[in-house]
Amino acid sequence: MGSESPSAQYIHMVQHLIEECIVFNMSKEECMEALEKHANIKPVITSTVWNELEKENKEFFDAYSKKREERRFDSDGETSQRQRIRDVVSESTVKNSNDDDKS
Amino acid sequence: MLAVSPLRNPRNEREGEMEAFSIDESEFPDFSGGNLLDSIDFDDLFIGISDGDVLPDLEMDPELLAEFSVSASEESEVKTTPIDKSDDENSSGNQQQEIITLVTAKAEEEAVCGGDETNINPSPKETERGRKSISHSKNGKRKVKVDWTPELHRRFVQAVEHLGVDKAVPSRILELMGIDCLTRHNIASHLQKYRSHRKHLLAREAEAASWSQRRQVYAAASTGGKREHVSPWIAPTMGFPPVTPMPHFRPLHVWGHPSVDQSGMPMWPKHLTPPPHGWHPAPPPPADHPFWLPHHHSHVPTQGMPCFPPHLQPTRFPPPAVAGIPPPAMFKVEQGSVGGQMPPPGQTLPQPPSDIHPSKESVDAAIGDVLSKPWLPLPLGLKPPSVDSVVVELQRQGVPKVPPACG
Repeated sequence: MGSESPSAQYIHMVQHLIEECIVFNMSKEECMEALEKHANIKPVITSTVWNELEKENKEFFDAYSKKREERRFDSDGETSQRQRIRDVVSESTVKNSNDDDKS
Repeated sequence: MLAVSPLRNPRNEREGEMEAFSIDESEFPDFSGGNLLDSIDFDDLFIGISDGDVLPDLEMDPELLAEFSVSASEESEVKTTPIDKSDDENSSGNQQQEIITLVTAKAEEEAVCGGDETNINPSPKETERGRKSISHSKNGKRKVKVDWTPELHRRFVQAVEHLGVDKAVPSRILELMGIDCLTRHNIASHLQKYRSHRKHLLAREAEAASWSQRRQVYAAASTGGKREHVSPWIAPTMGFPPVTPMPHFRPLHVWGHPSVDQSGMPMWPKHLTPPPHGWHPAPPPPADHPFWLPHHHSHVPTQGMPCFPPHLQPTRFPPPAVAGIPPPAMFKVEQGSVGGQMPPPGQTLPQPPSDIHPSKESVDAAIGDVLSKPWLPLPLGLKPPSVDSVVVELQRQGVPKVPPACG
Protein backbone atom coordinates (compact mmCIF):
# COMPACT_ATOMS: atom_id res chain seq x y z
CA MET A 1 0.00 0.00 0.00
CA GLY A 2 2.35 2.68 -1.14
CA SER A 3 -0.36 5.22 -1.32
CA GLU A 4 -1.04 5.17 2.37
CA SER A 5 1.01 7.20 4.72
CA PRO A 6 2.96 5.27 7.27
CA SER A 7 0.67 6.57 9.95
CA ALA A 8 -2.34 5.29 8.13
CA GLN A 9 -0.77 1.97 7.61
CA TYR A 10 0.22 1.70 11.18
CA ILE A 11 -3.16 2.64 12.44
CA HIS A 12 -4.69 0.19 10.08
CA MET A 13 -2.48 -2.50 11.50
CA VAL A 14 -3.43 -1.63 15.02
CA GLN A 15 -7.05 -1.79 14.07
CA HIS A 16 -6.49 -5.18 12.61
CA LEU A 17 -4.88 -6.38 15.77
CA ILE A 18 -7.63 -4.99 17.88
CA GLU A 19 -10.19 -6.74 15.78
CA GLU A 20 -8.40 -9.99 16.32
CA CYS A 21 -8.55 -9.44 20.02
CA ILE A 22 -12.22 -8.74 19.84
CA VAL A 23 -12.60 -12.02 18.10
CA PHE A 24 -11.10 -13.48 21.20
CA ASN A 25 -13.57 -11.60 23.25
CA MET A 26 -10.94 -9.60 24.95
CA SER A 27 -11.49 -6.41 26.77
CA LYS A 28 -9.81 -3.22 25.85
CA GLU A 29 -7.34 -3.64 28.62
CA GLU A 30 -6.55 -7.17 27.72
CA CYS A 31 -6.05 -6.04 24.20
CA MET A 32 -3.69 -3.33 25.19
CA GLU A 33 -1.69 -5.79 27.17
CA ALA A 34 -1.60 -8.36 24.45
CA LEU A 35 -0.59 -5.94 21.75
CA GLU A 36 2.16 -4.60 23.84
CA LYS A 37 3.39 -7.98 24.69
CA HIS A 38 3.20 -9.60 21.32
CA ALA A 39 3.48 -6.74 18.94
CA ASN A 40 5.29 -4.09 20.85
CA ILE A 41 2.56 -1.59 20.54
CA LYS A 42 2.26 1.05 23.17
CA PRO A 43 -0.86 0.63 25.18
CA VAL A 44 -1.72 4.24 24.69
CA ILE A 45 -1.80 3.71 21.00
CA THR A 46 -3.94 0.66 21.31
CA SER A 47 -6.24 2.47 23.61
CA THR A 48 -6.56 5.44 21.34
CA VAL A 49 -7.25 3.39 18.30
CA TRP A 50 -9.74 1.36 20.22
CA ASN A 51 -11.56 4.46 21.31
CA GLU A 52 -11.67 5.83 17.84
CA LEU A 53 -12.93 2.55 16.55
CA GLU A 54 -15.58 2.61 19.14
CA LYS A 55 -16.71 6.02 18.04
CA GLU A 56 -17.00 4.88 14.49
CA ASN A 57 -18.70 1.64 15.35
CA LYS A 58 -20.76 2.51 18.30
CA GLU A 59 -23.42 -0.08 17.80
CA PHE A 60 -20.96 -2.85 17.48
CA PHE A 61 -19.09 -1.95 20.59
CA ASP A 62 -22.25 -1.50 22.55
CA ALA A 63 -23.31 -4.96 21.69
CA TYR A 64 -19.87 -6.25 22.30
CA SER A 65 -19.61 -4.89 25.77
CA LYS A 66 -23.06 -6.05 26.58
CA LYS A 67 -22.16 -9.50 25.50
CA ARG A 68 -19.04 -9.43 27.54
CA GLU A 69 -20.93 -8.38 30.54
CA GLU A 70 -23.32 -11.23 30.20
CA ARG A 71 -20.42 -13.54 29.93
CA ARG A 72 -19.04 -12.29 33.13
CA PHE A 73 -22.00 -13.53 35.07
CA ASP A 74 -22.13 -16.63 33.19
CA SER A 75 -19.57 -19.01 34.48
CA ASP A 76 -20.64 -22.08 32.62
CA GLY A 77 -21.99 -20.46 29.57
CA GLU A 78 -25.52 -20.89 30.64
CA THR A 79 -26.64 -17.49 29.53
CA SER A 80 -25.22 -17.84 26.11
CA GLN A 81 -26.59 -21.30 25.88
CA ARG A 82 -30.00 -20.02 26.70
CA GLN A 83 -29.60 -17.27 24.24
CA ARG A 84 -28.72 -19.68 21.54
CA ILE A 85 -31.68 -21.80 22.34
CA ARG A 86 -33.88 -18.81 22.16
CA ASP A 87 -32.44 -17.87 18.84
CA VAL A 88 -32.99 -21.26 17.41
CA VAL A 89 -36.46 -21.57 18.75
CA SER A 90 -37.52 -18.22 17.46
CA GLU A 91 -36.03 -18.96 14.13
CA SER A 92 -37.87 -22.22 13.92
CA THR A 93 -41.03 -20.63 15.07
CA VAL A 94 -40.87 -18.26 12.22
CA LYS A 95 -40.40 -21.10 9.84
CA ASN A 96 -43.17 -23.12 11.32
CA SER A 97 -45.75 -20.49 11.41
CA ASN A 98 -45.78 -20.34 7.68
CA ASP A 99 -46.57 -23.82 6.82
CA ASP A 100 -47.92 -25.67 9.71
CA ASP A 101 -51.04 -25.46 11.59
CA LYS A 102 -50.61 -28.07 14.19
CA SER A 103 -53.07 -27.27 16.77
CA MET B 1 -57.16 -28.90 -5.61
CA LEU B 2 -57.31 -31.88 -7.69
CA ALA B 3 -54.56 -32.00 -10.14
CA VAL B 4 -54.34 -35.26 -11.80
CA SER B 5 -53.79 -33.90 -15.18
CA PRO B 6 -51.55 -36.54 -16.60
CA LEU B 7 -54.12 -39.06 -15.88
CA ARG B 8 -56.87 -36.96 -17.02
CA ASN B 9 -56.09 -36.70 -20.62
CA PRO B 10 -56.64 -40.23 -21.56
CA ARG B 11 -59.58 -40.25 -19.31
CA ASN B 12 -61.26 -37.44 -21.01
CA GLU B 13 -61.40 -39.57 -23.94
CA ARG B 14 -62.89 -42.25 -21.89
CA GLU B 15 -65.27 -39.94 -20.23
CA GLY B 16 -66.63 -39.14 -23.54
CA GLU B 17 -67.00 -42.77 -24.15
CA MET B 18 -68.61 -43.34 -20.87
CA GLU B 19 -71.06 -40.66 -21.36
CA ALA B 20 -71.83 -42.38 -24.50
CA PHE B 21 -72.52 -45.49 -22.55
CA SER B 22 -75.01 -43.93 -20.39
CA ILE B 23 -76.62 -41.93 -23.00
CA ASP B 24 -76.57 -43.83 -26.08
CA GLU B 25 -76.27 -47.44 -26.39
CA SER B 26 -76.10 -47.27 -30.07
CA GLU B 27 -72.45 -46.70 -29.86
CA PHE B 28 -71.99 -50.20 -28.88
CA PRO B 29 -72.92 -51.83 -32.02
CA ASP B 30 -69.97 -50.18 -33.57
CA PHE B 31 -67.88 -51.36 -30.85
CA SER B 32 -68.95 -54.86 -30.92
CA GLY B 33 -69.37 -54.96 -34.65
CA GLY B 34 -65.70 -54.46 -34.71
CA ASN B 35 -64.98 -53.67 -38.23
CA LEU B 36 -62.74 -50.73 -38.25
CA LEU B 37 -62.66 -50.63 -34.56
CA ASP B 38 -61.41 -54.09 -34.25
CA SER B 39 -57.91 -52.96 -34.43
CA ILE B 40 -58.35 -50.90 -31.37
CA ASP B 41 -58.43 -52.82 -28.26
CA PHE B 42 -60.91 -50.99 -26.18
CA ASP B 43 -60.43 -53.34 -23.40
CA ASP B 44 -57.21 -51.72 -22.65
CA LEU B 45 -58.78 -48.36 -22.55
CA PHE B 46 -61.20 -49.35 -19.95
CA ILE B 47 -59.14 -51.45 -17.73
CA GLY B 48 -58.43 -48.71 -15.38
CA ILE B 49 -61.93 -47.43 -15.35
CA SER B 50 -64.08 -50.39 -14.75
CA ASP B 51 -66.83 -49.74 -17.06
CA GLY B 52 -69.62 -49.59 -14.68
CA ASP B 53 -68.01 -46.70 -13.01
CA VAL B 54 -69.61 -43.70 -14.45
CA LEU B 55 -68.11 -41.06 -12.26
CA PRO B 56 -65.61 -39.63 -14.62
CA ASP B 57 -63.51 -37.97 -12.06
CA LEU B 58 -62.36 -41.17 -10.59
CA GLU B 59 -58.81 -41.32 -11.58
CA MET B 60 -58.28 -44.79 -10.59
CA ASP B 61 -55.08 -46.39 -11.52
CA PRO B 62 -55.04 -50.06 -11.96
CA GLU B 63 -53.04 -50.47 -8.84
CA LEU B 64 -55.45 -48.48 -6.84
CA LEU B 65 -58.29 -50.27 -8.39
CA ALA B 66 -57.03 -53.37 -6.73
CA GLU B 67 -57.23 -51.72 -3.39
CA PHE B 68 -60.68 -50.58 -4.04
CA SER B 69 -61.81 -53.94 -5.08
CA VAL B 70 -60.61 -55.27 -1.84
CA SER B 71 -62.01 -52.62 0.28
CA ALA B 72 -65.10 -51.61 -1.51
CA SER B 73 -67.32 -54.46 -0.83
CA GLU B 74 -70.47 -52.83 -1.88
CA GLU B 75 -68.99 -51.85 -5.10
CA SER B 76 -67.22 -55.00 -5.91
CA GLU B 77 -70.13 -56.56 -7.58
CA VAL B 78 -70.39 -53.57 -9.73
CA LYS B 79 -66.82 -53.71 -10.68
CA THR B 80 -66.03 -57.26 -11.22
CA THR B 81 -68.55 -57.76 -13.88
CA PRO B 82 -67.46 -55.10 -16.23
CA ILE B 83 -63.86 -55.96 -15.92
CA ASP B 84 -64.59 -59.32 -17.06
CA LYS B 85 -65.67 -58.26 -20.43
CA SER B 86 -65.97 -61.29 -22.41
CA ASP B 87 -69.12 -60.34 -24.08
CA ASP B 88 -69.45 -56.77 -25.09
CA GLU B 89 -73.02 -56.86 -26.01
CA ASN B 90 -74.03 -58.21 -22.74
CA SER B 91 -71.89 -55.92 -20.87
CA SER B 92 -73.41 -52.92 -22.44
CA GLY B 93 -76.74 -53.80 -21.04
CA ASN B 94 -75.25 -54.65 -17.73
CA GLN B 95 -73.31 -51.53 -17.66
CA GLN B 96 -76.27 -49.36 -17.93
CA GLN B 97 -77.71 -51.10 -14.99
CA GLU B 98 -74.53 -51.08 -13.09
CA ILE B 99 -74.11 -47.47 -13.69
CA ILE B 100 -77.29 -46.84 -11.94
CA THR B 101 -76.43 -49.25 -9.24
CA LEU B 102 -73.13 -47.66 -8.72
CA VAL B 103 -74.54 -44.24 -8.61
CA THR B 104 -77.07 -45.31 -6.12
CA ALA B 105 -74.47 -47.09 -4.09
CA LYS B 106 -72.37 -44.07 -4.09
CA ALA B 107 -75.23 -41.92 -3.19
CA GLU B 108 -75.98 -44.12 -0.28
CA GLU B 109 -72.46 -44.09 0.76
CA GLU B 110 -72.40 -40.40 0.65
CA ALA B 111 -75.56 -40.19 2.56
CA VAL B 112 -74.22 -42.44 5.19
CA CYS B 113 -71.06 -40.66 5.66
CA GLY B 114 -72.72 -37.38 5.25
CA GLY B 115 -74.78 -37.93 8.32
CA ASP B 116 -77.56 -35.51 8.08
CA GLU B 117 -77.38 -35.24 4.39
CA THR B 118 -80.30 -36.91 2.97
CA ASN B 119 -79.72 -35.78 -0.47
CA ILE B 120 -76.59 -35.87 -2.32
CA ASN B 121 -75.78 -32.26 -2.46
CA PRO B 122 -72.96 -31.09 -0.31
CA SER B 123 -73.81 -29.43 2.91
CA PRO B 124 -72.59 -25.95 3.48
CA LYS B 125 -70.27 -27.00 6.20
CA GLU B 126 -68.14 -28.76 3.75
CA THR B 127 -66.79 -25.54 2.58
CA GLU B 128 -64.68 -25.37 5.63
CA ARG B 129 -63.16 -28.66 4.86
CA GLY B 130 -62.32 -29.59 1.37
CA ARG B 131 -64.66 -27.76 -0.81
CA LYS B 132 -66.36 -30.35 -2.77
CA SER B 133 -69.19 -30.22 -5.11
CA ILE B 134 -70.75 -33.53 -5.42
CA SER B 135 -73.54 -33.92 -7.70
CA HIS B 136 -74.52 -37.39 -8.34
CA SER B 137 -76.94 -36.97 -11.07
CA LYS B 138 -77.99 -40.11 -12.64
CA ASN B 139 -75.45 -39.97 -15.32
CA GLY B 140 -72.83 -38.72 -12.90
CA LYS B 141 -71.14 -36.45 -15.31
CA ARG B 142 -69.97 -33.85 -12.87
CA LYS B 143 -66.49 -33.93 -11.62
CA VAL B 144 -65.87 -34.09 -7.99
CA LYS B 145 -63.31 -31.61 -6.87
CA VAL B 146 -61.54 -32.00 -3.66
CA ASP B 147 -59.75 -29.04 -2.34
CA TRP B 148 -56.92 -30.34 -0.27
CA THR B 149 -56.58 -27.58 2.21
CA PRO B 150 -53.72 -27.73 4.65
CA GLU B 151 -56.13 -28.73 7.33
CA LEU B 152 -57.55 -31.49 5.28
CA HIS B 153 -54.19 -32.64 4.24
CA ARG B 154 -53.00 -32.65 7.76
CA ARG B 155 -55.77 -34.94 8.76
CA PHE B 156 -54.98 -37.09 5.86
CA VAL B 157 -51.37 -37.36 6.85
CA GLN B 158 -52.29 -38.11 10.40
CA ALA B 159 -54.49 -40.89 9.27
CA VAL B 160 -51.87 -42.25 6.97
CA GLU B 161 -49.22 -42.21 9.58
CA HIS B 162 -51.49 -43.78 12.05
CA LEU B 163 -51.93 -46.66 9.71
CA GLY B 164 -48.42 -46.70 8.48
CA VAL B 165 -47.60 -45.16 5.18
CA ASP B 166 -47.07 -48.37 3.39
CA LYS B 167 -50.12 -49.98 4.79
CA ALA B 168 -52.44 -47.09 4.54
CA VAL B 169 -55.43 -48.12 2.62
CA PRO B 170 -57.78 -45.49 1.32
CA SER B 171 -60.83 -46.91 2.95
CA ARG B 172 -59.21 -46.93 6.32
CA ILE B 173 -57.83 -43.51 5.79
CA LEU B 174 -61.27 -42.36 4.98
CA GLU B 175 -62.54 -43.85 8.18
CA LEU B 176 -59.84 -42.28 10.21
CA MET B 177 -60.34 -38.93 8.66
CA GLY B 178 -64.00 -39.18 9.17
CA ILE B 179 -64.69 -36.52 6.70
CA ASP B 180 -67.94 -36.60 4.97
CA CYS B 181 -68.00 -36.65 1.31
CA LEU B 182 -64.49 -37.56 0.62
CA THR B 183 -64.56 -40.53 -1.58
CA ARG B 184 -62.11 -43.30 -1.44
CA HIS B 185 -61.06 -42.35 -4.84
CA ASN B 186 -60.11 -38.90 -3.78
CA ILE B 187 -58.13 -40.36 -0.98
CA ALA B 188 -56.54 -42.89 -3.19
CA SER B 189 -55.24 -40.43 -5.63
CA HIS B 190 -54.11 -38.13 -2.92
CA LEU B 191 -52.38 -41.00 -1.26
CA GLN B 192 -50.56 -41.82 -4.39
CA LYS B 193 -49.31 -38.33 -4.72
CA TYR B 194 -48.40 -38.19 -1.13
CA ARG B 195 -46.38 -41.33 -1.25
CA SER B 196 -44.40 -40.27 -4.21
CA HIS B 197 -43.76 -36.94 -2.68
CA ARG B 198 -42.62 -38.51 0.51
CA LYS B 199 -40.16 -40.67 -1.24
CA HIS B 200 -38.76 -37.68 -2.88
CA LEU B 201 -38.57 -35.81 0.35
CA LEU B 202 -36.95 -38.58 2.26
CA ALA B 203 -34.44 -39.15 -0.41
CA ARG B 204 -33.41 -35.58 -0.27
CA GLU B 205 -33.25 -35.45 3.43
CA ALA B 206 -31.28 -38.60 3.63
CA GLU B 207 -28.93 -37.20 1.13
CA ALA B 208 -28.55 -33.99 2.99
CA ALA B 209 -28.07 -35.77 6.23
CA SER B 210 -25.60 -38.17 4.84
CA TRP B 211 -23.67 -35.34 3.40
CA SER B 212 -23.49 -33.59 6.70
CA GLN B 213 -22.68 -36.71 8.56
CA ARG B 214 -19.96 -37.45 6.18
CA ARG B 215 -18.47 -34.11 6.83
CA GLN B 216 -18.64 -34.77 10.45
CA VAL B 217 -16.96 -38.03 10.01
CA TYR B 218 -14.17 -36.46 8.13
CA ALA B 219 -13.74 -33.82 10.68
CA ALA B 220 -13.92 -36.24 13.51
CA ALA B 221 -11.50 -38.49 11.81
CA SER B 222 -8.94 -35.83 12.03
CA THR B 223 -9.28 -35.77 15.76
CA GLY B 224 -7.98 -39.19 15.98
CA GLY B 225 -9.63 -42.34 15.12
CA LYS B 226 -11.91 -42.95 17.97
CA ARG B 227 -14.70 -43.28 15.63
CA GLU B 228 -14.76 -46.86 14.64
CA HIS B 229 -18.44 -46.86 14.55
CA VAL B 230 -18.38 -44.02 12.20
CA SER B 231 -17.87 -46.06 9.13
CA PRO B 232 -21.35 -47.46 8.93
CA TRP B 233 -22.59 -44.01 8.56
CA ILE B 234 -20.62 -43.40 5.52
CA ALA B 235 -22.28 -46.32 3.91
CA PRO B 236 -24.81 -45.31 1.38
CA THR B 237 -27.54 -46.91 3.34
CA MET B 238 -27.61 -44.53 6.14
CA GLY B 239 -28.91 -45.98 9.27
CA PHE B 240 -31.25 -43.21 9.25
CA PRO B 241 -34.54 -43.18 10.94
CA PRO B 242 -36.98 -43.14 8.12
CA VAL B 243 -39.74 -41.77 10.16
CA THR B 244 -38.13 -38.78 11.65
CA PRO B 245 -35.74 -37.27 9.28
CA MET B 246 -33.56 -34.48 10.29
CA PRO B 247 -36.00 -31.75 10.80
CA HIS B 248 -33.75 -28.96 10.05
CA PHE B 249 -32.85 -30.10 6.69
CA ARG B 250 -36.26 -29.57 5.38
CA PRO B 251 -35.59 -28.95 1.81
CA LEU B 252 -39.10 -29.25 0.58
CA HIS B 253 -41.90 -28.21 2.65
CA VAL B 254 -44.62 -28.15 0.14
CA TRP B 255 -46.86 -30.66 1.76
CA GLY B 256 -46.68 -29.43 5.23
CA HIS B 257 -45.36 -32.67 6.42
CA PRO B 258 -46.15 -32.54 10.06
CA SER B 259 -43.84 -35.15 11.35
CA VAL B 260 -40.92 -33.20 10.23
CA ASP B 261 -41.59 -30.52 12.68
CA GLN B 262 -42.63 -32.67 15.48
CA SER B 263 -39.49 -34.58 15.75
CA GLY B 264 -37.19 -32.42 17.63
CA MET B 265 -33.50 -32.45 17.61
CA PRO B 266 -33.08 -35.48 19.70
CA MET B 267 -32.97 -37.84 16.80
CA TRP B 268 -29.83 -36.42 15.60
CA PRO B 269 -27.51 -36.83 18.46
CA LYS B 270 -28.42 -40.44 18.58
CA HIS B 271 -26.79 -40.92 15.35
CA LEU B 272 -23.74 -39.23 16.32
CA THR B 273 -21.59 -40.90 18.76
CA PRO B 274 -22.60 -41.17 22.27
CA PRO B 275 -20.91 -37.93 22.61
CA PRO B 276 -18.46 -38.44 25.41
CA HIS B 277 -15.04 -39.84 25.01
CA GLY B 278 -12.90 -37.47 23.29
CA TRP B 279 -15.53 -35.78 21.33
CA HIS B 280 -14.79 -32.15 21.42
CA PRO B 281 -17.91 -30.42 20.41
CA ALA B 282 -17.29 -27.28 18.61
CA PRO B 283 -18.75 -24.21 20.10
CA PRO B 284 -21.53 -22.76 18.15
CA PRO B 285 -21.14 -19.50 16.44
CA PRO B 286 -21.85 -17.02 19.13
CA ALA B 287 -25.35 -16.39 18.14
CA ASP B 288 -25.41 -12.97 19.54
CA HIS B 289 -22.20 -11.95 18.04
CA PRO B 290 -23.16 -9.06 15.93
CA PHE B 291 -20.54 -9.58 13.37
CA TRP B 292 -20.01 -12.67 11.46
CA LEU B 293 -16.53 -13.96 11.65
CA PRO B 294 -15.54 -14.56 8.12
CA HIS B 295 -11.96 -15.19 8.59
CA HIS B 296 -10.00 -17.09 11.08
CA HIS B 297 -6.68 -18.22 10.10
CA SER B 298 -4.94 -19.77 12.97
CA HIS B 299 -7.61 -21.46 14.88
CA VAL B 300 -8.82 -24.03 12.60
CA PRO B 301 -6.54 -26.88 12.09
CA THR B 302 -5.54 -28.33 15.37
CA GLN B 303 -8.80 -28.66 17.05
CA GLY B 304 -10.37 -30.99 14.66
CA MET B 305 -13.72 -29.56 15.13
CA PRO B 306 -16.56 -31.52 13.78
CA CYS B 307 -18.81 -29.57 11.67
CA PHE B 308 -21.88 -30.19 13.65
CA PRO B 309 -21.61 -29.83 17.29
CA PRO B 310 -23.60 -32.68 18.64
CA HIS B 311 -24.90 -31.02 21.61
CA LEU B 312 -25.71 -33.39 24.23
CA GLN B 313 -28.83 -31.87 25.40
CA PRO B 314 -32.08 -31.97 23.64
CA THR B 315 -31.87 -28.43 22.72
CA ARG B 316 -32.61 -27.22 19.34
CA PHE B 317 -29.31 -26.28 18.32
CA PRO B 318 -28.60 -24.23 15.28
CA PRO B 319 -27.71 -26.76 12.71
CA PRO B 320 -30.30 -25.09 10.60
CA ALA B 321 -28.24 -22.03 10.62
CA VAL B 322 -25.25 -24.03 9.85
CA ALA B 323 -26.86 -26.12 7.25
CA GLY B 324 -27.93 -23.17 5.34
CA ILE B 325 -24.41 -22.04 5.05
CA PRO B 326 -22.28 -23.19 2.21
CA PRO B 327 -19.65 -25.62 3.28
CA PRO B 328 -16.68 -23.36 3.41
CA ALA B 329 -18.46 -21.05 5.72
CA MET B 330 -19.63 -23.88 7.78
CA PHE B 331 -16.16 -24.76 8.56
CA LYS B 332 -15.51 -21.37 9.85
CA VAL B 333 -18.47 -21.50 12.06
CA GLU B 334 -16.83 -23.37 14.79
CA GLN B 335 -13.95 -21.12 14.85
CA GLY B 336 -14.14 -19.92 18.28
CA SER B 337 -13.10 -22.78 20.33
CA VAL B 338 -9.55 -21.88 20.18
CA GLY B 339 -9.93 -20.39 23.54
CA GLY B 340 -8.46 -23.59 24.67
CA GLN B 341 -11.46 -24.30 26.67
CA MET B 342 -12.48 -27.71 25.75
CA PRO B 343 -15.35 -28.45 27.97
CA PRO B 344 -15.31 -31.92 29.31
CA PRO B 345 -17.56 -33.97 27.19
CA GLY B 346 -21.00 -34.70 28.33
CA GLN B 347 -21.45 -31.31 29.73
CA THR B 348 -23.25 -28.23 28.80
CA LEU B 349 -22.75 -26.53 25.57
CA PRO B 350 -19.23 -25.55 24.94
CA GLN B 351 -18.09 -22.02 25.27
CA PRO B 352 -17.50 -19.66 22.55
CA PRO B 353 -13.94 -18.70 22.32
CA SER B 354 -11.97 -17.44 25.18
CA ASP B 355 -14.65 -17.00 27.58
CA ILE B 356 -12.45 -15.70 30.26
CA HIS B 357 -8.93 -16.15 29.21
CA PRO B 358 -7.96 -16.64 25.67
CA SER B 359 -5.01 -18.86 25.39
CA LYS B 360 -1.89 -16.90 25.08
CA GLU B 361 -0.59 -18.98 22.29
CA SER B 362 -3.52 -18.42 20.09
CA VAL B 363 -3.55 -14.75 20.71
CA ASP B 364 0.07 -14.61 19.98
CA ALA B 365 -0.40 -16.56 16.85
CA ALA B 366 -3.15 -14.31 15.69
CA ILE B 367 -1.18 -11.25 16.34
CA GLY B 368 1.82 -12.67 14.64
CA ASP B 369 -0.24 -13.34 11.61
CA VAL B 370 -1.45 -9.81 11.42
CA LEU B 371 2.01 -8.45 11.70
CA SER B 372 3.47 -10.67 9.11
CA LYS B 373 0.65 -10.53 6.65
CA PRO B 374 -0.78 -7.10 6.69
CA TRP B 375 -2.70 -7.70 3.51
CA LEU B 376 -5.02 -10.11 5.22
CA PRO B 377 -8.55 -8.88 5.52
CA LEU B 378 -9.83 -7.69 8.81
CA PRO B 379 -11.83 -10.27 10.69
CA LEU B 380 -14.54 -7.91 11.71
CA GLY B 381 -14.33 -5.29 9.09
CA LEU B 382 -15.15 -2.49 11.44
CA LYS B 383 -15.37 0.95 10.05
CA PRO B 384 -11.94 2.46 10.38
CA PRO B 385 -11.52 5.70 12.25
CA SER B 386 -10.18 8.64 10.43
CA VAL B 387 -6.45 8.62 10.49
CA ASP B 388 -6.26 12.23 11.33
CA SER B 389 -8.37 12.05 14.37
CA VAL B 390 -6.31 9.16 15.63
CA VAL B 391 -3.12 11.00 15.07
CA VAL B 392 -4.40 14.08 16.73
CA GLU B 393 -5.63 12.17 19.66
CA LEU B 394 -2.35 10.39 19.99
CA GLN B 395 -0.49 13.61 19.99
CA ARG B 396 -2.69 14.78 22.72
CA GLN B 397 -1.75 11.72 24.64
CA GLY B 398 1.87 12.43 24.18
CA VAL B 399 2.67 10.32 21.20
CA PRO B 400 4.07 12.69 18.67
CA LYS B 401 4.82 10.26 15.94
CA VAL B 402 2.96 7.38 14.46
CA PRO B 403 4.42 4.88 14.17
CA PRO B 404 6.53 5.66 17.10
CA ALA B 405 10.22 5.49 16.61
CA CYS B 406 10.75 3.25 19.49
CA GLY B 407 8.46 0.26 20.01
